[in-house]
Amino acid sequence: MMTTWSAYLRSDAPTSRRQARLCQLWRRWLALRGNPLAVIGLLIVLALLAVAMFAPLIATHDPIAQNLDQRLRPPSAAAWLGTDALGRDIFSRIVHGARVTLAIVLLVVVTVGPIGLLIGASAGYLGGWVDRALMRFTDVFLAFPRLVLALAFVSALGPGIVNAIIAIALTAWPPYARVARAEALVIRSADYIAATRLLGASSWRIVMRHVVPMCMPSLIVRTTLDMAGIILTAAGLGFLGLGAQPPLPEWGAMISAGREQIFDQWWVATFPGIAICVVALGFNLLGDGLRDVMDAK
Amino acid sequence: MSNAAPLLDVANLRVDFPTPTGTVHAVRGLSFTLGRERLGIVGESGSGKSMTGRAILDLIPPPGLVTADRLAYRGQNLLSMHRTERRHLRGRRMSMVLQDAKFSLNPVATVGHQIAEAFRVHHKANRREARERTLSMLEAVQIREPAHVYDLYPHEVSGGMGQRVMIAMMLIAEPDILIADEPTSALDVTVQLQILKILDDLVTRRGMGLIFISHDLHLVRSFCDRVMVMYAGKAMETMPAAELTDAAAMARRHAYTLGLLGCLPELERPKAKLATLTRDPEWLK
Amino acid sequence: MSTQPAIAVSHLDVRFGQAHVVRDVSFHVRDGESYGIVGESGSGKSTVLRVLAGLNQDWSGTIDIRGAPQPKRRDKAFHGAVQMVFQDPYGSLHPKKTIDDALAEPLSIHGIGGTDARITRALDEVGLPRSFRFRYPSQLSGGQRQRVAIARALILEPGILLLDEPTSALDVSIQAEVLNLLQALRVERGLTYVLVSHNLAVVAHMCERLLVMQLGRAVEEMQARTLTARAPQTEYARQLLLASEGFSRPSV
Repeated sequence: MMTTWSAYLRSDAPTSRRQARLCQLWRRWLALRGNPLAVIGLLIVLALLAVAMFAPLIATHDPIAQNLDQRLRPPSAAAWLGTDALGRDIFSRIVHGARVTLAIVLLVVVTVGPIGLLIGASAGYLGGWVDRALMRFTDVFLAFPRLVLALAFVSALGPGIVNAIIAIALTAWPPYARVARAEALVIRSADYIAATRLLGASSWRIVMRHVVPMCMPSLIVRTTLDMAGIILTAAGLGFLGLGAQPPLPEWGAMISAGREQIFDQWWVATFPGIAICVVALGFNLLGDGLRDVMDAK
Repeated sequence: MSNAAPLLDVANLRVDFPTPTGTVHAVRGLSFTLGRERLGIVGESGSGKSMTGRAILDLIPPPGLVTADRLAYRGQNLLSMHRTERRHLRGRRMSMVLQDAKFSLNPVATVGHQIAEAFRVHHKANRREARERTLSMLEAVQIREPAHVYDLYPHEVSGGMGQRVMIAMMLIAEPDILIADEPTSALDVTVQLQILKILDDLVTRRGMGLIFISHDLHLVRSFCDRVMVMYAGKAMETMPAAELTDAAAMARRHAYTLGLLGCLPELERPKAKLATLTRDPEWLK
Repeated sequence: MSTQPAIAVSHLDVRFGQAHVVRDVSFHVRDGESYGIVGESGSGKSTVLRVLAGLNQDWSGTIDIRGAPQPKRRDKAFHGAVQMVFQDPYGSLHPKKTIDDALAEPLSIHGIGGTDARITRALDEVGLPRSFRFRYPSQLSGGQRQRVAIARALILEPGILLLDEPTSALDVSIQAEVLNLLQALRVERGLTYVLVSHNLAVVAHMCERLLVMQLGRAVEEMQARTLTARAPQTEYARQLLLASEGFSRPSV
């Protein structure tokens, strides 16, 4: 069984579209596997997914159960990472917070990536007034500091995690458009694009099927670099009471809640901070590895 | 040909590149000598001809490995030399002209500065001396306004002038051996002739040894004294250049050489269909 | 074969900003003929081809394809009748699409069915094994990629093929195979070729008539046999011929 799968994936002469794509995925997987840093990144991301999925099984306590007797206790056998100002177990809050973090990051990326990509790729390929109009539109959003604009949107839409996600998404898309446009400008003078124009393909078809796939590697790296920024923006909003509302165990909100006690009860802010660092690093490493693998001609 | 020790003595040269999917043998046991003459190395892509030139100058990037039974310059064993000693030889005694000046000249330094630098690396000279030498070298490669060209940047010079600049830069330290790797392939055909004339003139006057690497068999035949034909990292045969067009000598030619000659379209002898090369697996052994 | 020329170019003028790249060039190509355009860099030969293909819209003059004057923007019918093969085999195929994708694309754009059969036939015609169908360009050599480019150009069954230095980037042995393939296809399908090259020997081999260009101007038009007889009439054409014959050593 294994040998037939192995032969199928290593085949030099695939016999169907599906096999060709699977073979390519397999080759890319082998390349990724050979990059130790990318593997570390992948393991971290998988760990995040696992923790988020199995949070109720992994957490030792109820994340929102308050126990005022046990306020601000240091890490011990009872509370592995200590307790916060309301006696809630920090470990359990971090574990459940993985779900919130994952939700924020994925929802933002899934909305922002495609929009930025489409706008940027179209602007770069079509040029002329379309390019100018789209880029000026992008500039409007780029002109504001991200947090300020997010604040404005959240104030208008009302506090809450969902509105925070929308606000962050609205401010995070411009750099993706810029990156996609830069790639598209280079790609559009390639011979294979000229050949496709010569076949009579419409501009829409060329942008969607030929330009966009070539912009993906840079975009993936940009996305993973942005993950930390998105988490921190959510944290900033949480600090101002405009993002995740208590008692939701969002890591950024946990850090800002623990600011007051940073010197005496360092564990309240530090452990969520470590969690954010590790997750951001994991996404970065994975993204770099993916870009190397996808760039290979 | 001089009867002193040959300028270059190569025996069983091998260049290997270890890769995750197995070792790539770029050059497999090449042997030849070079005196004060012109040796042409001809081959298609993947024949190992460029790798040979770079191996001689110790320019093979890692993870490439160069081994040989003998790789000697004027009797001195290059492989047993310390890296720094070899670096001193490079440029001073042996140098290399590459294909496209666009890619081989530093884009942020003026052309004159680069040539002067090439001189000062190997000779003790102050800036004024180096500049004078550079200007006279630019004249020697038939650049009409050397002082003006001195201050130009590489992107401001045309293809032909860029190659002249590169030749000036590589010959200013007065090496004994010049390796030219496809020096005219990126140029228009009329410019090619000009560059070749300059090269011809300089090499003859200075009595240098020249290794001319090219894919163009006819060019090499007309420019060089001897021709070595390479395929898949090995030399298929070496012969005096004149024999390539000598009908009487055709019987002695290797099948690959005949194949290369046969598949070229020729102006004087129109062919209905071009002969194609059948590659004998024996050649890979 | 009709008596109307397949291509008739009249007073073609192309400017890129200040640069006057093509100056008042006129020529015509007969139906079923193989016509060459020769020149050095900066001669404007590739620009002429790109204008003919409709890739470039900054031109003035007239271009007639089978008697029909062409507008700046070409329609699908034009693309079904006129196709092009590019110089760089490493740039003319989309790196992320299989051969199958590349060949299916033109069929899909023009709404032509029977994809499977047409693709396998196209591969057979250019001498590529069917097992290559689902490979990516990175798994092919330069010569093989050029064959795919030819297959893609011919899958819509055009009558006119524009060839922009199709073998300049290939080894001589591969060049011979590709040129032979192009010759055979032309005879089989009765195609009209316009071949641009800087290599006089290739043009003399492939073409019946040719145009020599220099710095945007048409210098001389001649039969291929004029070249082989070494009898061009203009000074520049003679220089070009002399230069392609190689180097002669004064010292020997």
